[in-house]
Amino acid sequence: MVRMSDLGEADRLLVLLTPGRGLMRATARSARKPGSKLGGHLDLLCHVSISISTGRGLDTVSQADTLEGFRGLRDDLGRLSRGLYLAELAERFAVEEAASHGPFRLLVDTLRTLEKLPADAADSLLRWYELRMLGQHGFAPQLQRCVDCESALEQKDHVYSAARGGIVCPNCRTRGDDPLLPAPVTVIKILRFLGRATWPEAIGLKVGDDDRRMVERVLRSHLHYVLDRDVKSTGFLDEVRKRLGVAEAAPEGDPPGDGARTGPQG
Amino acid sequence: MDGHRAASLAPPVARLIEAFRKLPGVGPKSAQRLAYHLIRMPRAEAESLAEAILAVKDRIVLCQVCQNITESTPCPICSDQSRDRTRICVVEEPLDSMAIERTRSYDGLYHVLHGVISPVNGIGADDLKVRELLERLRDESVTEVILATNPNLEGEATAMYLQRLLKPLGIAVSRLARGLSSGADLEYADESTLAHALQGRTRSADQDASQSL
Repeated sequence: MVRMSDLGEADRLLVLLTPGRGLMRATARSARKPGSKLGGHLDLLCHVSISISTGRGLDTVSQADTLEGFRGLRDDLGRLSRGLYLAELAERFAVEEAASHGPFRLLVDTLRTLEKLPADAADSLLRWYELRMLGQHGFAPQLQRCVDCESALEQKDHVYSAARGGIVCPNCRTRGDDPLLPAPVTVIKILRFLGRATWPEAIGLKVGDDDRRMVERVLRSHLHYVLDRDVKSTGFLDEVRKRLGVAEAAPEGDPPGDGARTGPQG
Repeated sequence: MDGHRAASLAPPVARLIEAFRKLPGVGPKSAQRLAYHLIRMPRAEAESLAEAILAVKDRIVLCQVCQNITESTPCPICSDQSRDRTRICVVEEPLDSMAIERTRSYDGLYHVLHGVISPVNGIGADDLKVRELLERLRDESVTEVILATNPNLEGEATAMYLQRLLKPLGIAVSRLARGLSSGADLEYADESTLAHALQGRTRSADQDASQSL
């Protein structure tokens, strides 16, 4: 369940991510009533097995069983805000009537991991997930070579362009007028590592606060460009971290795009 | 409504159908049924309906204390000096406070948030009446805040968020109990509801009575 809204007197309109049919919309009749057999099984972030009746209008849920309720996410505000972000990202990339086995499995596995993960590793998991999700949909950033001239990148600080789709070498960074972000060599190495590592390998990665913020900024900028819209739950994610002091501080600067520096960086 | 159908309808009817379609839970067919029902309705009833809609828009305001919808501010509940002013029950919508009032088991005050934190829809705490709640708690002699948000993920997120905000104020914060509803069947209960029911289990009355003897 990746999205849910009220419908009519007591129904719910659901948006589900399914392995075989991608995004699906369905109604759950009377699911908001206290005695409903469906209501308790149909909530955001629930991994459910459902039967659906198809008709002329919207599909209708006729039966639902919870496979995993992810209670560990629901009892912790930090984990919950991150879990909702993962689900929204999966929804933004998914389309209707298109098999979505990889992203579905990735989402469920990542929610399962997040449920038991210490807060200090949770942000690394989000970055790892973002790179996996981008890779599965063919939008992985180019981190090995200059995205413009395809020359091998020297081991030094470079810049990053979301519009061009990756790291830009010093010779190419003045070619366009697209926003550029600084990409220090440590940030490039972290992105490359997270892009190729399995999660058990990546969990041990220790990242300083400055590098963590820069990695997050680069990936948010990339996601914003690819999706052509903001991922709305980042607002809650940042609010929980900033205002309530859950885990570390949010990335510095303005939202992706607005906060990006323009032109060559030093 | 598609252009073909709109072109074949008299403009006032099409306008009425469009107006009904904007109401929550009303689809195109229901909007047409409501519109044609109004056309057949006696003029006096239609005027009464129109007046009722205008009266709601002209005379209803938000209570400056609890943010509930009311005709006068403070609302009758906030003005009632016989109510327990040390407890505030926080609800998502005005209708939720009415549901609790129907139980006749609560005599404290309310605070209506007018929504719930919904991260995937971009609705945060700043879009709700959270600031008003915090201001109220600084001024009033409240000793307990009861968080009565809906028992779903967004309601839980809102309650957890408020709990964290209220913690520094030193006020007791409680949540509505969760568990099986009357007439429910264990076989169909979801794991979360059953787990909450087990965690919140109570001793049977007989046992309590025998222990107290």
